[in-house]
Amino acid sequence: MLVEQILVVLYLAACIGIGVYASRKVLTSRDEYWVAGRRIGAAVNTMAIMASLASGGSIIGVMGYAYSQGIPATFALFAGAVVGFPLASILVARQLRNFGRYTITDFLAFRFPSPVVRVLVPSLIVIAFTAYIIAQLKAAGITANALLGIPYDTALVVATLVFVTYVSIGGMIAITWTDVVQGVLMLFVVVGTALVVIWRAGSPFALIAQATEVAPELGGLANPEIGSAVGYFIIWATAIPVIPHIVMRVFTARDGRSAQLSLNFAMLAYSVMILAAVLAIVPLGKIAFPDLADADRVFLRVIQSEFPAVIRGIAVAAVLAAVMSTTDALLLACSSAIAHDLLGDLLRRKASDKTLAAIRVASAWVIGILALYWALSPPELLTRFYTAGIGLLSAGLFVPTIAGLWWKRANRAGGLASLVAGAGTYVLALGGVVDFGLPPIVVALSASALAMAAGGLLGAPESPEMREQIAALHADAP
Amino acid sequence: MARGENFFPMRRGEKIALVVLIVFAAASFHPIARSVEVAGMLLFGWLMAALMLLSPLLTLWVFWRGRPRN
Repeated sequence: MLVEQILVVLYLAACIGIGVYASRKVLTSRDEYWVAGRRIGAAVNTMAIMASLASGGSIIGVMGYAYSQGIPATFALFAGAVVGFPLASILVARQLRNFGRYTITDFLAFRFPSPVVRVLVPSLIVIAFTAYIIAQLKAAGITANALLGIPYDTALVVATLVFVTYVSIGGMIAITWTDVVQGVLMLFVVVGTALVVIWRAGSPFALIAQATEVAPELGGLANPEIGSAVGYFIIWATAIPVIPHIVMRVFTARDGRSAQLSLNFAMLAYSVMILAAVLAIVPLGKIAFPDLADADRVFLRVIQSEFPAVIRGIAVAAVLAAVMSTTDALLLACSSAIAHDLLGDLLRRKASDKTLAAIRVASAWVIGILALYWALSPPELLTRFYTAGIGLLSAGLFVPTIAGLWWKRANRAGGLASLVAGAGTYVLALGGVVDFGLPPIVVALSASALAMAAGGLLGAPESPEMREQIAALHADAP
Repeated sequence: MARGENFFPMRRGEKIALVVLIVFAAASFHPIARSVEVAGMLLFGWLMAALMLLSPLLTLWVFWRGRPRN
């Protein structure tokens, strides 16, 4: 246990050190703080995007889900996000990078100018992402408690203090550097473990054949009802092109092409990691530990039984890295929704650069402390709550963003109608008020698209100047 | 505005990639894929795994082909 604890302390200290170092550059510059000066290259952005998406759930959760629900259902769950990245790279990456602001709210408020957009969009982001941060903190607490023997509450407080410190003072630059370290660590641990397991077994197919002989349910669907799998797939595929912590990564890229490449390379790395985990580590876990009461422990049991203490310590750091690399990106996006989207215009007219920097730091701490408070006694059904939050973002933002970039007849009336109809219908469908026998996200996206079409066809056409500005976003960077 | 001018133009390769990804994903969810088993696992699972690799590789290939030539 001591070796594991020392390695984790070293890792946390390195994260703080990166934040302190980055703070020298970023605290008084909006460009540096929110989008790392827009000069992140494709290789670094690839690893940072991969780490931002790969949460604690991508290491602990994916293997636990495959162990209990079968491999096909697990792939369906994660393939949605993977498909979302190519969609994002084709539909929004070049255009939003050419737009050259800071957040998805900036684009929607420019395309469909209205106070409703300036208030509703960041409010949806804060609600959805706070729930997401609480879930991640809970995962960090459980992991540290199980692997390091640290009490849940202590682990939560330490993890929160560390990541809020480096996010609040180091901004996007600190997040990018720590995410690169965290991404490399995750890939090394998961893919490395899978390669060792495959090398010992001969091939992944031999492993799967052996595992499905012991437990045939591993290759099937525990729940033959496919509706929820379709719903999750669509939620993630449509969320990725508009989800704020990924869109902010697009704004950090050097140019549109670099953004497109890094999104796809990131997903390739992410896919390799998920496939390695599910096709190698889970089958071995099922063979060696067929009756685990807590399926989420399968990765840790395999690591504990197959590897020495140093590797176990690195694995613990990798799990914490997965949690923190997502949480820090969520925290910055949430903080930008408050300090930039909600208060930005008002403050920039009256406040000095120093005051603005203090407000950026303060907003990160307020969200971090609130999330910590709720994570100390997390609400029931938190996972479903935050997945619903991501669904809400997707239902509200996907159609206005895509139509705003691609449909020439998209106008202010259509944009506002589709934003409100998408988010509103999703809440009603999720609550069972509206029920068409379809996943809520399908109903909400359809309502949002209909509202956009009605507004665009019946409302006043957009000005030629706006059309020209949108056409310019589609051009290649010089 | 003419019918064909309702949308900003998308590059041909990107359009094809989008269609391929959507058709592949929709076909993967077809009931037949959930009734056939290959090497101990439902075909649905193998198709989803293939989609996870195909989608970024296909889009990277499209971008590589469309890269600016100096």
